[in-house]
Order: sequence, then structure tokens, then C-alpha cells
Amino acid sequence: MLNKTKINKALFVSVTALMLPIAAQAEWQRSYVIEWNEPAMYFAGEAGIEGPGSDCPQGVNPEQDWVDVLMRAGYTREEAEWLRNPANPTRSPTHGQNQMAFRGKDRANVYVNPTSYPDPGLYPMTGNVAEGLNLDGNTDTGFVSPSGEAGIDNTFYKTLGCWKTYRGPERLSSGAMQFNDGMRNGSWTMVIVVSGEGDDPSNDDNVMVGFYMSQDNMVKGGDGNISPHYTYRIQPHARYEGLFPARTVNGVIESREPTPVVLRDPGYTRDLELLQAQIKLEMKDDGTLRGYVGGYRPWLPVYQGWVNARGPVIESLTWVELPSVYYALRRGADYHPDGSSEENTHISYALRVDALPAFVMTPDASEVATQVISYKDQAPPLPAESGPMVGRSRIIDGLVIDPNAEYQAGPNAVILPPR
Amino acid sequence: MKSARLFVLTLSVGVVLHVAAHSTVVIADDSTLATHKEPVVVAVRRLTEPQYRQSIEDIFGEDIQITGRFEPERREIGLLALGSATLSLTAAGFEQYFNLSLDISRQVFSEQMRHAVMPCAPASPAEFDRVCAEQFISTYGEQLFRRPLSSAEVEARLDAAALGTEQSGDFYTGLQLALSSMLTAPEYLFRIERAEPDPENADNWRLDAWSRASRLSYLFWNTSPDKELLAAARSGELHTENGLNAQVQRLSSSPRVQDGIQAFLVDMMQIDGFDSMIKDATIYPKFNQLVADSAQQQMIRTLVDLLVVKERDYREIFTSNETFLNRPLAAVYQVPFASSEEWAPYTFPDSAERSGIFSQIGFLSLYAHPGTSSPTIRGIKLHEIFLCEHTPEPPADVDFSSVVDSSAATSRERLLDHMSNPGCIVCHQRSDPPGLALEHFDGMGQLRKYENGQLIDVNADLFGNKFVGAQGLGQFLYNDPRASSCLVRNVYAYGAARMPGSAERPYINTQIERFAENGYRVPALFSQIALTPEFFNVVIPQGAQQNTNNVASAASAQ
Repeated sequence: MLNKTKINKALFVSVTALMLPIAAQAEWQRSYVIEWNEPAMYFAGEAGIEGPGSDCPQGVNPEQDWVDVLMRAGYTREEAEWLRNPANPTRSPTHGQNQMAFRGKDRANVYVNPTSYPDPGLYPMTGNVAEGLNLDGNTDTGFVSPSGEAGIDNTFYKTLGCWKTYRGPERLSSGAMQFNDGMRNGSWTMVIVVSGEGDDPSNDDNVMVGFYMSQDNMVKGGDGNISPHYTYRIQPHARYEGLFPARTVNGVIESREPTPVVLRDPGYTRDLELLQAQIKLEMKDDGTLRGYVGGYRPWLPVYQGWVNARGPVIESLTWVELPSVYYALRRGADYHPDGSSEENTHISYALRVDALPAFVMTPDASEVATQVISYKDQAPPLPAESGPMVGRSRIIDGLVIDPNAEYQAGPNAVILPPR
Repeated sequence: MKSARLFVLTLSVGVVLHVAAHSTVVIADDSTLATHKEPVVVAVRRLTEPQYRQSIEDIFGEDIQITGRFEPERREIGLLALGSATLSLTAAGFEQYFNLSLDISRQVFSEQMRHAVMPCAPASPAEFDRVCAEQFISTYGEQLFRRPLSSAEVEARLDAAALGTEQSGDFYTGLQLALSSMLTAPEYLFRIERAEPDPENADNWRLDAWSRASRLSYLFWNTSPDKELLAAARSGELHTENGLNAQVQRLSSSPRVQDGIQAFLVDMMQIDGFDSMIKDATIYPKFNQLVADSAQQQMIRTLVDLLVVKERDYREIFTSNETFLNRPLAAVYQVPFASSEEWAPYTFPDSAERSGIFSQIGFLSLYAHPGTSSPTIRGIKLHEIFLCEHTPEPPADVDFSSVVDSSAATSRERLLDHMSNPGCIVCHQRSDPPGLALEHFDGMGQLRKYENGQLIDVNADLFGNKFVGAQGLGQFLYNDPRASSCLVRNVYAYGAARMPGSAERPYINTQIERFAENGYRVPALFSQIALTPEFFNVVIPQGAQQNTNNVASAASAQ
């Protein structure tokens, strides 16, 4: 039955009435909640999720023969089979599985020393169609978009597009599902506020677009999808915020100038740091918003994100040797900030965004957020870095270490038990 | 531990059966009335789930956890309160009450709680202390039965407690059995009202003082009489005008009156059934149980705030656009939720077309089909709930095929086709117009202007009374005198557990006039009715006509 205490509280305690003062500056305002976002990985597969297509003629990287991998790294067959045998009672995470890390030169940990290991290679992405944005303004370089726009810069896709983690139709790749499920179930929420100064929201030269965090979870309806029109309060965040100067052209929001932003990454990296970031988002007739956020992101944190998600687990589940990801990203990097070394430290990238109409409020919930401004000065300080964690386990060099385990993995570990 | 529980369970079954044989419920029949002037049972009403819960909380404290299922209730002539007077217990239902009694007794006599509950301490916790046990049984028995226990009733529980103590070696385990037997007794599970001979008029019967106390307590607070009210019953004050005035004043001025009026409003407005409401997720994807529960709470909060907290004109429930929202409801209404509280007050703008309690998604979604709106169901319920006009069931051989084809045209056109059937028009010409005025709200209560691509017409004509949309319907109901008279009749029926008869029409008409004179304020109406002698009228069971009138006034002192 009904909670009378709560009813009484609502009735007798003075609460803020739902009066909605609207700030005066913006002539129009739209707001959204991101209900799905994933790296923009164009799928040209002929069938299924991982099958071959014009982009990946060989399909996805196949599952590794890990016994063979270990033997190539210097383990004897007996040792390799012992380590890979699930029935082996000593094949514990801290011994058998963790030992997978130590296959570099002189048994170095390949996750933190990937160059100690020869590049195993990834299946090449060979297509010329990609989703994303023309980041450098050059239509003579890059991909062609599915709609025929030239100059699309998305080397991240070219680099990792045939990895099973990222390959698949929209919303169906394993990586996209994993992280979006987490987001949709309450791990984090990002909202978007769009405000303009002109009379016509569809064609306005002075538009601002803000990406913010919110502490309010998305809510699923009876059909299991995220429901539109919920209200979200902006949660000031010291790192995750993106403010884009933009314009609208026929209902499409486009950046007026690139800008650096850091958003919440739907991936293990968490920080989606983008230099020269731009947006291209269409305000659709049904009230939804769809498009891309693109820019150049540092590639090393992407690799480290996978390592810190437990290297051996990621390798087993996603069928690639992680050093190959390292080499591929380093090879594919196509940007470095002005003034830095000549080595490219960033890679062109695009995030595909689907957002639903929502009400976005100022942090105190007192009014609709009509202005796109920075709330970073209201944000609490970021918590001190505690190192990577998976659940309650601390990750050290890509591994979960149990100091009390009888057998420990390592360069000098005894693999086979005494006979 | 397990064996101890089994012992309590086994012994409890025996005790309940044994004690039941000592119960002294006297059902009046011809011979009883003809030959004795003993009190007779004139009404038996099963406690509702909220009443059961609140009574336990009031008697033993709010720390008692009540976890269990309750028998379903039944609505009669629009009120569960009337249905409660016709309900009995099924075997499965009794089993639930029995399990609840064991669980409550265990909690009451847990080491943490027993000291706060016990009026005395036994000489030894391992031995039976008859004096202390009797003190507990008498004290709590009176609160549970809402009257003093007879000596036979006390003795039966003492026997049970003694037996339990002897076999378990623990005084409190023995008392658990005694308490469990009281919690499963009909005297607790049912409000048993008794009439007694009127000492000032030998030919008349009157409701006895304990029953009067219960009637007042459940009307104003929806719970068992408190100690002060029981004392007033014991002293006879409740039979005096001054005594009754004092108690009504006390009950009605307490914050707890909100509980009582809320319980009535929930009953009369039929704000139930949300647990089992089903909507087609492909048509109404926003619907989920959270929305359903919120919609129910919204109706209750709106009514309580308007009628109890602000004591506004009852008729404003048909026109007010003031309500409360939480985050899920704001999403369905498609308005921002500008608060960090769980609920916040909200006023709908005119453009929202929300006017009155029936334009909230609770009413609109409850009285609709899983995939479409239903002007007919909504109209039937508007008539039934707010005007006390009931609609008969449709004939069994009606062809509904044209009505249920929701892909064709608008509801109005489908219903007009249906009404061409002369067997249907009699009811539909009354039920459908109010529902058609609400057609700007879909089956979940969301605002819409079009159905199947056609503009929806919300004009309505109810026997020459023309109105447009929810706001027009609200104004029509505001001005309709049937609405306030329906409320007055329902308040009386809710409190007395019977609809006033034709002989009481002048009385009801007087109450309606006074209700209007008092500004249509519901709390004042409760006091007004409770202070009238007619509120305590009893209906003497069939066969007693030779001794008294069928409806006997109980307020001989007034």
C-alpha cells in the first residue's frame, strides 16, 4: 500500500513548486539524453554480425591457438598445454591465466611491454566507406561516408574495424552492447543541451551544444527501451563536459569550430578525450537526435584501457593478442598536437550518438537548462587516482594478483608442478 | 529452533480451535430477539488490509513487520466498505491470517520488544504467571477486540498460555499462543457491531458503546479505537451528546484524520487495481509498474491535498489543475520535473487540458483497454464513482467487433456505429458522452489530438447538457448536484457499512444541504455526519420486526 510517511512529507513539507523560470538568453532550446553511443564502425558485412564483407574480406580476427602462441613465445608444448588446460587444478587466474602475460622477450609482460613481442598483426580493414566527420577539412583524404560525403577521418575504424569487439551492425557488436548495457542500466548518464539565438532552430548560425553528465539514471519502459521525456539534472563534472560552438543547417547541427573536449567513453578507457573535436548531429522530426562526435583521441589510453580490463581475459574473449592492438593503434595514429613531437599520439575517431528528447535541468533542478555554459567550476574535485580496478579487484600490469595464491605467475614461474 | 517453531505451530492450531469454541458471538435470530434482550450482532465487517496493518501498528508499535498476503476485497455498490460487510474467510485466507498471527506474536514477544509491550513481568520467565498473563490478555484483548473480553474469552486464552508455558518451559512462548489466538479470532479480524436494548425506550435498539467507538475510529482514523475512545465507550460518554461531541472533535482535529479521509477517498474513488493494470508495451512503451504506482499515488496526493490539507470545495476535484508529480509521471505528461524531491507540487497549464481528478493518468489509464482508450468504460466509471449511478452489464449477445477494431477511424465513429444497435443505445447514450470528452487522452492518459490520422472531436452532449473536453466535463460535474449528494451518501455508507435506505432520504437531503452550507468541505462533512444520531442507526436482522422498527435510532440520549 502507499507510504503515508512519504505522502505526508510531500504534502506538509515545503518543497519547491514546479514553476519553470526560463533563462532569457536562448531563443530556443532542445535537450536530450544519450541512450546509445558507440565507436562509429561502419559495417559492410554480408550477413550476420562478424561475417566478411567489403570492409573486412576475411571477417573478424579468428580465435587464437593459444598453445601455439605460447610455444612461439618460448614455452614447451607440455608447459603451454598445461597452462591452457582448464582441468588443470593449478591453472588458476594467478598462475595459469596470468602466465599468459609473460610471453615477451625474456618472458616480459607483453601487456605493459608490448614492444617486447613481435607484432602479431590484425586483419586489415580494406574498405573505403566509413562513418564519422571530416576533421581536417580535406576532402581528398580519408573515407567516403555511407551517404557519399568525402574526407571522413576515422582511422580508429580503419585500425580496429575487423576486431570482433567492434565489428557488427549498429548496436550489435559485443563492445557496443557491453558498455551501452552498463550505461542504460545506470552506470552513467550523459545529456545534451542545444541552444540557439535565432528564430529558426533548423537554420541558426549561433548555436551552442553542451554535453554534460547527469546523476539521474535513464528509465526503461515496458518495451525495455529507454523512455523519452524524463528529466535529468546536470551533474557538474570536473572532467566530463563538452561545449561545442555550432550552427544548424536544415536541422543538422554542425560545429562552427573545433574544440577540445573530454566526454565519458563507452569503453574501458572511460575518458574520451578529443582534440579538434567536432559534432554533426541531426535533430530529427521525431524529436530524437542522431549523429557523430569526432576528433583526435590519444591512442595509448585506448590500449591501456584494454590492458587494465585484465589482459588475459580480454585476449581470450576477443580473440586478439593485445600487442597487435598496440601496434595497430600506433601505426594508425594520424595526429599530434601542435608543438609536440613529430610522432603521432592521437588517432582520428568518431562516436556515433543516439539521443532521446529529455528535459535537462540546471544542477539544482530549479530551472530548465537553456544556456550552454560550463559547470566545471561547480564540480567537486575528482577523486584521487586509485589505479585500475575491475569490480573490487585491483589491476596490476594487466593482471589480477592474489598475493596469497600458492602459485604465482611471472617471468620465473615454475610452470609444471613437480612430478 | 526448528522444533520449537513446530511446537508453537502445532500447539497454536489446537489453541485456535479450542478458543474458537469459547467465542461468544451471538447472531440474532427470531428466537433470540423474541425471548431475550441481550445484545445482538447487527453487522460484521472484515478488516481491510490497511485497517489490519494500522491496528497492529497502533497497538504494538511500528516496528512490527507484517509480511503476508490478504484476502481479496469486494466492492459493492461502489464501495469496498459495503463489500466488507458481506465477506467471510476462505480456508486459504484463514491460513494467511494464522501465519500472520504467529509471526506477529513472535515479534511482540521477542527479547527486543517484550519489555516495551508487557504491562508486567512474570515472577519467573520459565513458569506460568497467571496474574501477569491475565493482565496482558485483558489489556491487549480489549484493544484487539475493540471491547472488553468476557471472562470466558480471557479464561480460554489463559488456558492456552498456561499450556504453552508448561510444554515449552517459557512464559512468553505461552503468551505467544494466547496472542495468536486473539489475532485469529473473528472478534479481531471482523468488526462485529452489536445492538443493545435502548434503556430509554424498551422497544428500541441502539448500537452499543463499543461499536459506536469502532464506527467513529475507523471513519476518522481508519484504525482501532485508541484508549481514550475505549474509555469513553466504557464510561457511557459516547451515548451522550457532549461525550460524542468531545470525541468527534478530538478525532477530527487530529492529524490522523488524514488517514481516515484518505482511506475513504481511495475507496470511493476506486483508486485501486494498479498492481494488475496491463498495457501493451508496443503501444504505450513508457508504461511500467513504476508509472502505474506513481499514477495511483498522484490521485491520492491530489485528493488529500485538495480536500484535507487545504479543505477546499469538494467540487474542485472536477476542475482543479493542481496536482503532484514525480519523475516518471512528469515523463508521461511530458513536462520537466523541477525538483530534487521525490514528489513536488505542479499546476497544469490550460494547454495541457488537464482538469480534475479524472484527467490524471491514473483514472485515464485504469479505465481504458490495454491498447486503446475506452470512452464507454471511462463514462461508466465517471457515472458510478462521482454520481453514484451504476450501469448494468451489457447483454451477452452484443457484437463488439466494430468497436474493438482500433485501427479504424476514431473511437467516436466506432461507438456511433455500435450505438445503432437499439439494445445498446439505452446505456451508451448515457455512458459514452463523458468518455468521449476525454478522448484527447489515449489509453495511458497521454495527451493526443489525432487518432488514426483523424482529428479527435471532444464535444459531448449528455441528454442536452453540452460540454467540450475534460475542462468542459469538469465544469459540468462541478455544477451537477448529483456529485455532492453522491459524496454525502457514500460517506454515510462508508461509515455505517450500508447504503441509507429510502426512509432515510430526508436525513440524507438534510446532510447534503448542510454540506453545501459548509462550503462543500469534506472534513466538516465527516464530523457533521458522525454527530447525527442517524449515523449510529442499526438494522435489526430479519425477524425482529415484532420487537422494533427495522431501522432503529440508537441515539436515545440526543
